[in-house]
Amino acid sequence: MKRYDLIVVGAGPSGLSAAIEGAKRGLQVVVFDENEKPGGQLFKQIHKFFGSKEHKAKIRGFVIGEQLLKEASELGVKVVLNATVTGLYMDKELVVKIADTIYHYKGDAILIATGAAENMVTFEGWTLPGVIGAGAAQTMMNLHGVKPGNRILMLGSGNVGLVVSFQLLQCGCEVAALVDAAPRVGGYGVHAAKVARCGVPFYLSHTIVKAEGEECVTGVTIAEVDKKFQFIPGTEKHFDVDTICLAVGLSPMSQLLKIAGCEMEDNPKRGGQVPICNEYGETSIKGIFVAGDVSGVEEASSAMIEGRIAGIAAAQYLGYIGIEELEEKFEENKAALEGLRQGMFAPENRGKLIERTEEGIPVSMNLLTKGYIAEDEIERYPGVTHRAGIHPVMECSQNIPCNPCQDACPRHCIQIGSHITSLPVVDESAQCVGCGLCVAACSGQAIFLVQEDYEPGYGTVTIPYEFLPLPQKGEKGYGLDRSGQRVCEAQVMEVKTAKTFDHTNLLTIRVPVDMVGKARFYRKIF
Amino acid sequence: MSRRIAEHPILGVQEKGEKVTFLCDGEILEGYEGEPIAAALRAAGIMKHRYTKKEHTPRGIFCAIGRCTDCVMIVDGKPNIRTCVTPLKQGMKVQTQYGVSPKPFEKQ
Repeated sequence: MKRYDLIVVGAGPSGLSAAIEGAKRGLQVVVFDENEKPGGQLFKQIHKFFGSKEHKAKIRGFVIGEQLLKEASELGVKVVLNATVTGLYMDKELVVKIADTIYHYKGDAILIATGAAENMVTFEGWTLPGVIGAGAAQTMMNLHGVKPGNRILMLGSGNVGLVVSFQLLQCGCEVAALVDAAPRVGGYGVHAAKVARCGVPFYLSHTIVKAEGEECVTGVTIAEVDKKFQFIPGTEKHFDVDTICLAVGLSPMSQLLKIAGCEMEDNPKRGGQVPICNEYGETSIKGIFVAGDVSGVEEASSAMIEGRIAGIAAAQYLGYIGIEELEEKFEENKAALEGLRQGMFAPENRGKLIERTEEGIPVSMNLLTKGYIAEDEIERYPGVTHRAGIHPVMECSQNIPCNPCQDACPRHCIQIGSHITSLPVVDESAQCVGCGLCVAACSGQAIFLVQEDYEPGYGTVTIPYEFLPLPQKGEKGYGLDRSGQRVCEAQVMEVKTAKTFDHTNLLTIRVPVDMVGKARFYRKIF
Repeated sequence: MSRRIAEHPILGVQEKGEKVTFLCDGEILEGYEGEPIAAALRAAGIMKHRYTKKEHTPRGIFCAIGRCTDCVMIVDGKPNIRTCVTPLKQGMKVQTQYGVSPKPFEKQ
């Protein structure tokens, strides 16, 4: 039986972060992961992360994964793949299945970072080939380069459902509809808005009646539900689709902790069965730590911080560092974690209807029910202004912890201030030069550059564009409004790509002047 | 229409292994070495991986990460192989699984 100072189970964002912090302090660390490749879900996450610099905001998930792996390997962390941990027993003994052999390991400290598994819902036909998890869609398209289907219906409007819908569009799939039994969109409004403006209809208070097809999915029927989630007869709608994607939440994979005898609780706010742990992530068994989704479903940014805290705590538990260092580092990380847990989507606000922003502005109800901010709602947000010359229009309407736009502007036109969840404000005294750095920096793709006085009768709108083929300068097409409806003819005036934009291309389209406040997406004439 | 993503707006052209051929229920298919068998099948438009023992109903990819076992097939004669996490190799023989057999139910 081989012994390690710290054994980490799960090579995702939290496990790797913990391994890095442990190894930095001299611990001999091994990480086991059942998958063929490390990184957990990070390598499937191709969108730019939210938060601030310390949370790796503006960086795409898979790039963060590469950074973590590089750092871990430089510190001598051993990552063993295709290694399934099947048991965790007394005295921190671990049973690991690697290929066809069972091995025993002993860890002086253990960190369980096994993450979460997707939830499922059942309906008539749910076992048909073509009904897949949203995670499966991400795995197929982003890891293996294969489209999961051609025409897809997404069930679930949380961040996973919204982000995966956008990714499906990015790889060339058609998304027929986004459906959720809940009355309101669960994820970030900005994620919803970028899906809606591509023309995907949202059906809130709707769910799947049945998946159709004999041998595999050929269609789907949805219907409206009442407040008690019962189908309302006569509201059925049919879609021809070949794939149904389920994004209905996650549950912690905490079985190993239960085997080990850690005290557990059933906590719906954390996603299900979770271990009871202290602020460092230590469970009821001394020396067994947890971090990431296994201790409560959140997202990768907070998982990385929890991992760092638990890794440092494990070093202290084993006597590699003193309590002072732990406490000092904990305070730093705690502040970063609290930064992420603020705003409308903070864990304590889960499921609550928030009607006003922190600034006292009414929240867009159209955004929550249709996925986009309505014409008569948009002007109320501080980022939406009118002025002569080119200027940013920030359609950021919810208090989420995110501030890259503030640092992106070299002229300091955009201000969020010290409170990370505040809505961005345009500084009227600063002069925008139209560089577009803010457009590319916004992880929510909610910033546009608008010039109302481009030429007589016409203005321009610069939009973030992450699709292929990239439109060509001079090309003609249509301007789409926030709901994805064609509202005007548009001509591509400029297409800017730059390394600093990190694959977010800036498309400047010329539209009739009365459309500069409406056109938010572009589509070529075929 | 090809299910393969030729070029991705964020990920670019994805690195793949050598092009290989394999057999699926006797039909010669192409795929890339090292990718999951299930990915090669989906790219070829194959949705059904197996039929259940009791109800004889079809199953295909569901979780794609080796957790749900819906996508198991008979690979090189061995049943219950999770095709979503088993790397494809040149000359592999993949068969639809009926219950746990390669034979359709009427022949079992």
